[in-house]
Amino acid sequence: MRITGGDLLLLSHAAFGITGCLAALWVFVEALGARPANLHRIRTASLVAAIAIGAAWICGGYWYLHFYPAEKALILGGPWPLAHNLFMETKEHLFLATAMLAFLLPIVARERLDSNSPARKLVLSVAALVVVTGLAIEGAGAVIDHGVKVALLRSAAKESR
Amino acid sequence: MKDSEGLTATTSGFVLATAVTVLVNTALACVKDAYAPLKVAMRSVTGHDWTTQGLLDLALFVGLGLIFTKTRIAEQMSPSRLTSALIGAVVVAGLGLALWFAFT
Repeated sequence: MRITGGDLLLLSHAAFGITGCLAALWVFVEALGARPANLHRIRTASLVAAIAIGAAWICGGYWYLHFYPAEKALILGGPWPLAHNLFMETKEHLFLATAMLAFLLPIVARERLDSNSPARKLVLSVAALVVVTGLAIEGAGAVIDHGVKVALLRSAAKESR
Repeated sequence: MKDSEGLTATTSGFVLATAVTVLVNTALACVKDAYAPLKVAMRSVTGHDWTTQGLLDLALFVGLGLIFTKTRIAEQMSPSRLTSALIGAVVVAGLGLALWFAFT
């Protein structure tokens, strides 16, 4: 088995993305029962979410610029061109919104969530938005991957005839 | 402990900055897709239009966040209104981007 730098970057991108979503989910659950004792955990988890999504941006961005063009050509020549035209186009731009939300999370988590109901609702909303958009982006990644797979399968089937 | 119902200037400022950045990001994605010269111009800045857009988003988020914090403009909005504005901006972004790329 040979793992290339491109493979590592792509897997790191997905792993950091999921870590960011899980950390945001952690913030959401802790914020539901915010009290003085768990404010530190909420702030730590929000920082983890921001750092993980930032790392997903760097890994995914480098991979997108240097390794994706070859996959894009495969997808567009295969039976699932919408994997790029719809899913990648939406994913690459929606990701930027998710990144801003993740960077916002540690800022809003600095509020006294145990005694400030509007601030708690805001943190719950931001954390939920990171989770929902993050999971949608992860799903889009799976569709893009499938777009490459079906293109390669069709190409292999043609060659075997 | 006394309950407080407001948000700090920094929180309010950066929430509004995020909502604006998310909407600008969506609009820019659609406009550059429809108007090729803009995409070319953005590509000439960093080598790729998506990189330029990402850096622009980051600059907007930080810049507007600091401006809104300093001017306390976002503090004039109630916390529930700010939260609704942020949720609305993200819903518009998600649906807007998906519909745009589905039908163009």
